[in-house]
Amino acid sequence: MIFYKRDAPLFIKGCCIYFGCFSMATLTRQDLNFGQVVADILCEFLEVAIHLILYVREIYPSGIFQKRKKYNVPVQMSCHPELNQYIQDTLHCVKPLIQKNEAEKVVMVIMDKEHHPVERFVFEISQPPLLSISSETLLSHVEQLLRAMILKISVCDAVLDNNPPGCTFTLLVHTREAATRNMEKVQVIKDFPWIVADEQEVHMEEAKLIPLKTMTSDILKMQLYVEERTQKN
Amino acid sequence: MDDLYLDNIDEFVNDQNKIVTYKWLSLTLGVHVNTAKQMLYHYLQQKRNESSGTPLHATYLVSGKCVENGSTYHKVSVVREDKLDAVKAKMDVTISVHVYSVQRAELKDSSPLYSTDYDAVKENLKNCNKYSAIRCAAAVPLSSSELQRAQEKALVPPVEKEISKPGFNENTSATSKPSAKQPAGIMGMFASKNASKSQESSKEVKTEQKEDFSLVETSKSKTASKANPMSNFFGKSAQKKADEKPNKSIKEEMDSSSTASATASLKQSQTSSKSETDVKEEQSKVSKALKVESKDTRNKTKRPEVVDSDDEKMLSQQKKRRRIKKPQPDSSDEEVVPDSPPVPNVHTPSPKKQVKREPVSHQEESSEVKRRKRRRVLRSNTFVDEDGAFVTEKGYVSESYSESEEEPESNSQAKDSSSLKQSFGKREEEKKEESEEDLCC
Repeated sequence: MIFYKRDAPLFIKGCCIYFGCFSMATLTRQDLNFGQVVADILCEFLEVAIHLILYVREIYPSGIFQKRKKYNVPVQMSCHPELNQYIQDTLHCVKPLIQKNEAEKVVMVIMDKEHHPVERFVFEISQPPLLSISSETLLSHVEQLLRAMILKISVCDAVLDNNPPGCTFTLLVHTREAATRNMEKVQVIKDFPWIVADEQEVHMEEAKLIPLKTMTSDILKMQLYVEERTQKN
Repeated sequence: MDDLYLDNIDEFVNDQNKIVTYKWLSLTLGVHVNTAKQMLYHYLQQKRNESSGTPLHATYLVSGKCVENGSTYHKVSVVREDKLDAVKAKMDVTISVHVYSVQRAELKDSSPLYSTDYDAVKENLKNCNKYSAIRCAAAVPLSSSELQRAQEKALVPPVEKEISKPGFNENTSATSKPSAKQPAGIMGMFASKNASKSQESSKEVKTEQKEDFSLVETSKSKTASKANPMSNFFGKSAQKKADEKPNKSIKEEMDSSSTASATASLKQSQTSSKSETDVKEEQSKVSKALKVESKDTRNKTKRPEVVDSDDEKMLSQQKKRRRIKKPQPDSSDEEVVPDSPPVPNVHTPSPKKQVKREPVSHQEESSEVKRRKRRRVLRSNTFVDEDGAFVTEKGYVSESYSESEEEPESNSQAKDSSSLKQSFGKREEEKKEESEEDLCC
């Protein structure tokens, strides 16, 4: 398994406001883009989740966050343009992996000043091999599940210790074997290279595992847990 | 009552790490809300007396009468426990205080409180006021014919409005001021204006009516906080916004898709309360009319709020403003990037398409002249199209404003409007729309 990572942004540029909107079609078996639909849903969710984790774990000052609505509930999203761009670009690269069901985990690693990981938020993703789109209420059901995940992230403070000041974060993707060859060939976004992650970011010593939430639906199975270092300071 | 509920609450709070609001508890256990409030209170007492185990946090709902700027108004707010005494002290008369929620985590903002209740209410939509203490004899579900008529009426005005005047989301300032103040400080950095705002610590208000009113409120708070970069851009402190004069063009452009009651009460609050606070009207429940199908109430707009300037702050001259726009290189079809709000003081090399503007200076002029001009502003409009689906359209529309306001030069490119369908989780019957256009940057 090979892991890819991308470094977080460092400086501020201009300001941009964005919002993502997603349109869903009636999913029929004849629909070719089913994988794409799932990837879209998942990437949207990951974006919201990453922003929320940044807010809740106080990686960045709360002033840069703004309330937005997603899945019919308020969520905190950052307005910092570089940060937003970084997250979007990363997820944009992850999307084709999810489409082909090659992404096993998306991990958000929170590191202290010495770049040792203190927390790892792991989103384990799996798609059932036979994607069945049976029920009409599939989408609202999925929305409900994602809402519950968002809620769980909001209260994760209760089960985690405080982080030391000056933390940064990075995003890793764990892919299955075959994907590695394709990653290098396809430069999805120019000037946004993916590099193999350092061993120290991937594995954390003295880790405690804290499960947060599991969701199972017809189109997607996702587990969210946190690996936390026992001694944070 | 037997003490089994204490174990139940303990399980919810400690084992499942849930946020237990009184409303959620009442719907889950099937008890009257007042009973639920008492249950939470007893639970808190018991746990605090034990003084062992994990720390608990609570939020309270405080309501009372306040006098500010000479006018008295009823204020209802949800506050964290540590701010409870301060808020109570500020009120002249404290009418009621009760536990709103109990949870293990210390909440940083009020969004999870809303989320908690959302699903519980949604499941019990038909009888969500079964355990409620608020009663209104006139609040009965609409018959299907009445519902249809209401939907037809809603279709007609937004279509007209889309062309002429954009709909404003009403007076977000009053209710959403406090939460927007702190962000505005750092947001101002992005808009190159450091406004000094006092941080209001009490949380956003909530009503019993989560389905409808809070949605309006959520979108309001969103637009207010979104409006703050805009307001910074307009070269005014947010404090000024609080002193809005009643005779604004906002009133004319009240969004027709809000419910009448919401509009009425909000108008009331606008005239009665000018400065920042959490003003909230408790409304009687209007049940079926606010169901998911009723498109009138779904206000999913993300409109930036533009406020007419006050007479006091004037600018001496129009200044050009720099506007940076970053085209989204690989945005998917569904994502639309609207124009960024004008950002003065940006020092980076400009991307391909940008309109240059200079920063705004605050210059107080004694001039009383206020001329109205028209300008093109990016507006976002939500309406229901022929399929019955929600469409949000962002487009440049001409809008009148007074000259004293900071005014961005209208973007040379943009007459494009993009229409997006927001139907996730709502209408599974919709077909994929090929008519989505990206906002051309």
